[in-house]
Amino acid sequence: MDPEARKVVELGYGGSERLTMNMGPQHPSAHGVFRAILTLEGETVVGVDAVIGYLHRCHEKLGESLTYTQYPSIASKTDYVAAMTSELAYVRAAELVGKVEVPRRAQYLRVIVAELQRIASHCLWLGTWCLDMGGALGGGATVFLYCIREREWVLDLFEALVGARLLYGFHQVGGTRYDIPAGWAQKCRETVGLIERRLDEYEDMLERNAFFLARTQGVGGISRELAQTVGISGPLIRGSGVSYDIRRLEPYSSYEDFDFKVPVETAGDCYARYRVRMVEFRESINIVRQALDGLPEGPVSSRPGVKSVGQVRIAKGEGYARVEGPRGEVGCYLVSDGGAKPYRMKWRGASFSNLSVLPHILIGCKVADVVAIMGSVDPVFGEVDR
Amino acid sequence: MASLPPLAAEALHGFVVAFIVLNVIIGMVTYVTLLERKFAARMQSRIGPYRVGPHGLLQPIADALKLMMKEDVVPRAADRSVYNLAPIVFLVPCMLIFATLPFAPGLGIADLNIGLLFFLAVSAMEIVGLFMGGWGSNNKYALLSAMRAVNQIISYDLPFIFVALVPVVLAGSLKLSDIAAAQAGLWYAGWFPLGTLAFLFYVVATLAAENRVPFDILEAESELVAGFRVEYSGMKFALIQLGEYAHMIGTSYLGALLFLGAWAGPWADTSPWWGALWFLLKAMFVFLLVTWIRWSFVRIRADQILAISWKLLLPASLLLLMATALVVALRGAGNG
Amino acid sequence: MARRLGESFWGDLLDLVRAVTRAMKVTLVNLIRRPVTVHYPDKVRTYPDRYRGLLALTYDRETGEENCIGCRLCEYICPPQVIKVEMLKAEKRNFAKTFTLELYACEFCELCVQVCPTDAIIMMKSFDMSTADRRELLLDKDRLHEIGLRFEPSWATGNLLRDMQTPPKAPRAEGDHAKAGEPEKVAGAGKAQGAKPGGAGE
Repeated sequence: MDPEARKVVELGYGGSERLTMNMGPQHPSAHGVFRAILTLEGETVVGVDAVIGYLHRCHEKLGESLTYTQYPSIASKTDYVAAMTSELAYVRAAELVGKVEVPRRAQYLRVIVAELQRIASHCLWLGTWCLDMGGALGGGATVFLYCIREREWVLDLFEALVGARLLYGFHQVGGTRYDIPAGWAQKCRETVGLIERRLDEYEDMLERNAFFLARTQGVGGISRELAQTVGISGPLIRGSGVSYDIRRLEPYSSYEDFDFKVPVETAGDCYARYRVRMVEFRESINIVRQALDGLPEGPVSSRPGVKSVGQVRIAKGEGYARVEGPRGEVGCYLVSDGGAKPYRMKWRGASFSNLSVLPHILIGCKVADVVAIMGSVDPVFGEVDR
Repeated sequence: MASLPPLAAEALHGFVVAFIVLNVIIGMVTYVTLLERKFAARMQSRIGPYRVGPHGLLQPIADALKLMMKEDVVPRAADRSVYNLAPIVFLVPCMLIFATLPFAPGLGIADLNIGLLFFLAVSAMEIVGLFMGGWGSNNKYALLSAMRAVNQIISYDLPFIFVALVPVVLAGSLKLSDIAAAQAGLWYAGWFPLGTLAFLFYVVATLAAENRVPFDILEAESELVAGFRVEYSGMKFALIQLGEYAHMIGTSYLGALLFLGAWAGPWADTSPWWGALWFLLKAMFVFLLVTWIRWSFVRIRADQILAISWKLLLPASLLLLMATALVVALRGAGNG
Repeated sequence: MARRLGESFWGDLLDLVRAVTRAMKVTLVNLIRRPVTVHYPDKVRTYPDRYRGLLALTYDRETGEENCIGCRLCEYICPPQVIKVEMLKAEKRNFAKTFTLELYACEFCELCVQVCPTDAIIMMKSFDMSTADRRELLLDKDRLHEIGLRFEPSWATGNLLRDMQTPPKAPRAEGDHAKAGEPEKVAGAGKAQGAKPGGAGE
């Protein structure tokens, strides 16, 4: 049925009593600290008031008081689920403004790490989305634990590379801090091979499952025009028919060397976004393999050794660098006055802009759809509140 | 015993048997929770309870002790009498259903000749307790969930009854021990295609009657945090859990009786205890089947659940019942 | 690619039955697989060489003296500013008079390890220091040295981390290359398309 007509019919039906329900900041499916004050008529949502800011930790002020060497470790904490891409946005901004060269080996390592991070982040997305839809005591928990089990393999890789599992501090201005240890490339290939096989299992469980399709098809549709006006990015916009991927549009960090597909779906509903992310899984695995095959030799930083821990003086100027994170466009706008710390740093959080689409798609859907939609939007509140 | 008047003796006998059965059921309920947790854990690549007692065998006891020691928090604005009575009104029907179940030939509390009718009628009364809990809690989440639950259980009780009537038609009696005895040759679940379909529909209807995923909009932890149980803590919560799992076991037993031949099995005729063992194992099989389904699927939306019930399951179970009746009538007409 | 629901009743029903059996088969297969749980603390999983665990101060292997010269570089680089050092000047070299590290606020970012010129502060391959009182996590110099002796150290020290960022210019002696955790040199062509499949040297 036409979504507009459906809204009219359901809002007009006997709905005399409106119930205000709070999906509060502490909620098993709020994906973080997010408060949505829903106005319900029966089971239909007729109004949504989103309250954010529960996780505000003054990242932008911290960026002004920490040097370019100290801040990348903190930058991971914005999008803590995909820490590598968050750090990458910051160091790219600093390198852009300061015109710092990055050696090719570092660029390839950054690509490998970013794509592995995309795989890990999408594992978490799939797990938590099914957990929200299926219940913590039910099939959702099963898919969640399978996805976490796969994510653990990727985190083991990161642990062998960096020493940390969630928040890395892997990037530095001029390249990366660490190089890959002996045997890591082989382990990486085995891990992505294992994940590729397990992906087939997930698709088996979900792909043609009528329960899953009934929950996700036709739910939370974002039309192509809405997608282009409202400022979303990442799998949300690619699920609505717009082919917008920063890795293709403005290739950074040697992405132009790799051959990968950018998945685009036209339906715009939760199922389309699910398909986009599932294809992105496989494409990321593809990119990781290509990068490992072609990894050049050389230094991993243009400011190696003692320079890596010294002060970085970025020339006066300003610039905006963006990366394609698992949730969308993560960007960092840096204004430098020539010193060792930025004068002003602004984060463009992917989830913050993605949340702006919520008032458009939540109205008219049922309460149960709210969780399905929130899951497919996949916000991480570290990015939203910074 | 001979000195007591016959009525009193019968009453005393009934009381003792009921007491024993109730305690056995409560013991079984606690260990069934452990079974479910370990089974689910293994399906999720992890180990369930492991530390409390060897391989977690003392976990249910630890849970029971914990619930008994918890503070009984009553919301200030709750409707006191309704709130306090709800767990009891929920629990009693769930325990009463065991009254007519024959655990083995001769082992049962009261083998009424309207046994199945009693079972179905009494088990539907838990809805009252459920709604009392949702209403008395004075909590929007609880109320929403209770309303959804009443909707769902009523919608699925109808197919449940129709499907439960299929073995009745086949056996020709509402008495549960008769239905069990009539399956001596072929279990009704093995009577292809109508019997197997009836068994499958029974499993689906059980899932819905028990608020298990994929029909668990009642709890829907991710939306409604524990449903109508959200404001209960301590012993009242324990009573609700007890009632839920007792009902679960009861419907598993009923499924095993109606479709899987109850106590039929090797050496069943030598002693009623062997029969009771087979019955238990079959009931656990039905329970694990339901659990397996529960841990494999995401849940579906409330309106979709009702659509499935009214548009799919009800007509299908009606057709099944009519087809079974037709077959029986033709067979009877052919014989007699 | 899955079809849209609602197109055909019998098709949907058949799909449902197939999907249900497939999903249940996946869970059944996982029922038989070995669980991935590690029975911590009875069994501890092996931590990788570069694990960032607890922080510790070290002694010199030959002379047995403290490595720390109290230069305060770690204090300046620490993002949450949890290290506080006071220098003690002596004849041949300086020492640290006091060295406090607030472990409860530490980010475990390894920047202090990376900056240390004498490899004095390092991280261990363990994190087992849970306590009921946060004040026990305010580590002073003695406790930091004690941690350094108690647990197994990670591979990373300041000099190794700084050297990792540039490959060695001249070929070194045999023993040096045999160090565990040497950065791996993957021989391959520059562009991905022209690379040999599988990459040589792995």
